[in-house]
Amino acid sequence: MPTKTVPKSGVVNHKTELCRGCKICELVCSAFHEGVCGSYLSRIHIDADDLNFNFSGQICSQCESAECYFACPLKDIALCIDSATGARYINEAECTGCGACAEACQLPEPPIWEKTQGGKAVFFKCDLCKDTEEGPLCVAMCPWGALKFVNKEGRLDG
Amino acid sequence: MAEMYGWAGKILRVDLTSNKVETNDTAKYVPEYIGGKGIATRIAWEELKPGVKPYDPENLLMFMTGPFSGTLAPTSGRGIVCGVSPRTYPIPWFTYSGMGGNWAAELKYAGFDGIVLKGNSDTPVYLWIHDGEVEIRNAEKLWGLDIFETQELLKAEYGKEAQTICIGPGGENLVVSATIHHRQKNSAGMPGFGAVMGAKKLKAIVIRGTGGVKIARPAEFVKSCREVRKLVNSGPTETPVKIVLGPTHLPCTHACPFGCTRKFKDIPLRLGDGKDRRNIPVMCNAEAYELGCAWYKYPTPLIGKEYTGEIYTRAIEALGRDPGLELQAVIEALGVSGWTYLTLRCLFLACIDNGITRINGYKLDPGNPKFWESFFKKLAYREGIGDIFAHGLMQACEKLDLPEIIKKTAHWLEPMWGFPSHRDGRATESQPSPLWIFDMLHWVIDSRDPLASHHQTGYIHCWFPPHFEGGSPFVDFEKLKATFDRVFSAKGILEPGFEPLDAKTKVTKWFDDRAQMKDSLLLCDWCFPRVLKGFNTVGELEAAEDYYGNVDAEAEMLAPLTGLDIITADLDKAGERIRNLDRALHIRNYNRSRKVDASGEWVYEYPEKTDGTKLDKAMFDRILDSYYENRGWDKKTGWPTRAKLEELELKDVADELESMGKLP
Repeated sequence: MPTKTVPKSGVVNHKTELCRGCKICELVCSAFHEGVCGSYLSRIHIDADDLNFNFSGQICSQCESAECYFACPLKDIALCIDSATGARYINEAECTGCGACAEACQLPEPPIWEKTQGGKAVFFKCDLCKDTEEGPLCVAMCPWGALKFVNKEGRLDG
Repeated sequence: MAEMYGWAGKILRVDLTSNKVETNDTAKYVPEYIGGKGIATRIAWEELKPGVKPYDPENLLMFMTGPFSGTLAPTSGRGIVCGVSPRTYPIPWFTYSGMGGNWAAELKYAGFDGIVLKGNSDTPVYLWIHDGEVEIRNAEKLWGLDIFETQELLKAEYGKEAQTICIGPGGENLVVSATIHHRQKNSAGMPGFGAVMGAKKLKAIVIRGTGGVKIARPAEFVKSCREVRKLVNSGPTETPVKIVLGPTHLPCTHACPFGCTRKFKDIPLRLGDGKDRRNIPVMCNAEAYELGCAWYKYPTPLIGKEYTGEIYTRAIEALGRDPGLELQAVIEALGVSGWTYLTLRCLFLACIDNGITRINGYKLDPGNPKFWESFFKKLAYREGIGDIFAHGLMQACEKLDLPEIIKKTAHWLEPMWGFPSHRDGRATESQPSPLWIFDMLHWVIDSRDPLASHHQTGYIHCWFPPHFEGGSPFVDFEKLKATFDRVFSAKGILEPGFEPLDAKTKVTKWFDDRAQMKDSLLLCDWCFPRVLKGFNTVGELEAAEDYYGNVDAEAEMLAPLTGLDIITADLDKAGERIRNLDRALHIRNYNRSRKVDASGEWVYEYPEKTDGTKLDKAMFDRILDSYYENRGWDKKTGWPTRAKLEELELKDVADELESMGKLP
């Protein structure tokens, strides 16, 4: 069995008390990654109770103990670690859609979802917009300061 | 059919008499009519026959979105409702009502650009729309519930992601000021479409969509949206300079990065449910809908007094509750428009001042919040005096035995088309010359309070010097004027007075065409168009050489979204097309004419609130002549010419009007 110490990752944190439920984060995320605006293809979800105005965020914690990564039968091929940001990301071209990552995730509502791409099922999750220069676009576009990016060096938690 | 970007591609049609459900292709209407109000107006032209009354099964009630709905375009979450309104005065006619929230986005995600309803159900029903499917369901258990109870019950059944629009008792009981409601504080409020839903026995529409809006050129679209957002840095109702928003401000609508709320942040959700919700943030609509801009001073020259709509008192607030705000929560739950409170209160105060203490035996006590709570319940349930005023302020005063001065005051309070005076500079806000002249023309040709047009004038007002009530101390007025003159290639557009008249009426036309455009795209009418740029700080504002924003912003977002080769000139033309088609519809169905347009002229013979400027009949006629000329409308009749209609690809419209003898 391969063992490996996974490098720390940066993370996007959502502050419920600052969120106003505008969903701009979902829209820019799905537009950038999928060419579509909509919640269902976004890698961040705002759970909106719009009658009582409670807004909670569902986004990958990029855990130090990366259970999704450990569970992937194609680790470093399908579920990979980005060397610059530390992001645990899914290489969708190689993902077989087995779902082991989502099953292994320890968050109560795993922020890893399934979609159909090129006729096959693949999973997708937050990759910290590792391919952009400015970092996570949801953070860049949040109007309320409710999303903050903490890089791997600055991260105190796991 | 080629793949569509931006639009969902289908319009849902539901006949509530026959329970027939079908879909139309959106492609039939776009890009010529853009979406939203544009498509609704075209459908009305084709299907809404003269003589259709608000509660007839033949009346169409249309819930429309636009290509921007559900996307990243700033403020694009708004939707629009169109149909024959029961509230408009002197006759019910076709009009529109905007509404924020998430329902428009959700409808797109469910696969539809709009819902066109006709027919009337015999029994209460609601619609459940989900991912391309629609079901007409029994609403017996919902009938009678208020708008919060209704939404909570449906949320429990369909999940928190489902978006609900619904009516309360006001709509069920056909009160002409009944709202269609969504979430908190979001409503299609003014034209009483809640009553049209009530007549159709449609309690609610529940929408859930798990799709998305496809983007033709995603990277470019995201870039354009970000550029446009930089233009609107300020909370748009506030000031040219960004206000650092506190945590209690909330945008009214999906994809709005601004959240222009400023006051009344602690409105309770409603009374009597035992929950303390005083810290719930409130959206910008609260300002207009909920409070009916209730703090405005309302001069009533016939009585010789100035009234205010408010019953908000500091003394009572000190006791921990605010009766004015509590009242608004009651009005909202009942599903009637808070704006009715503004004019009713002024009218009842006028009655008291003229020795009338009772109407039909009902004791008036307009200084007492408890009176209003009771009154609005009577209104929503049509008990006694409530039944009379459920027909509308003007309509009620026609029926009641009241002195002439009171009837005339009612007309002063709701001078045009049955809507409260607004941004005309006479009552409510001041609107210094020349801004009220622009607004007057918007009122004159529109079918309701022309919010989408005059909110821009209101925004410009925020840039006027501080001695105009509501102006800004930081703006260089000369720079502001120069910016307008440059954008519109004229001199003196923002100078007070009527001259240069031609340039001023041209600018008015431009803003009105833009209003049609934004009600079709759809975007917030406070935030667009961007003649002016918002600034982050006073320093930035003071350092700016020019205040120009970007009037091409809409097209710069729409082209990469849809993949169509669309430029500003195309959108401007579409806006003008929509205005002219709306005009044609009103000419065909309601005999709209110059004479009808001029029926509110008398209001402007009274002076503007703060600068005292006014006009007489001769000046009004000159202004209207100039405006019609710039619109390509015949000066005598106010009807569009064949040349104008054909220029706008509306030959079929010209032919039909000609066959009726209504082409100049």
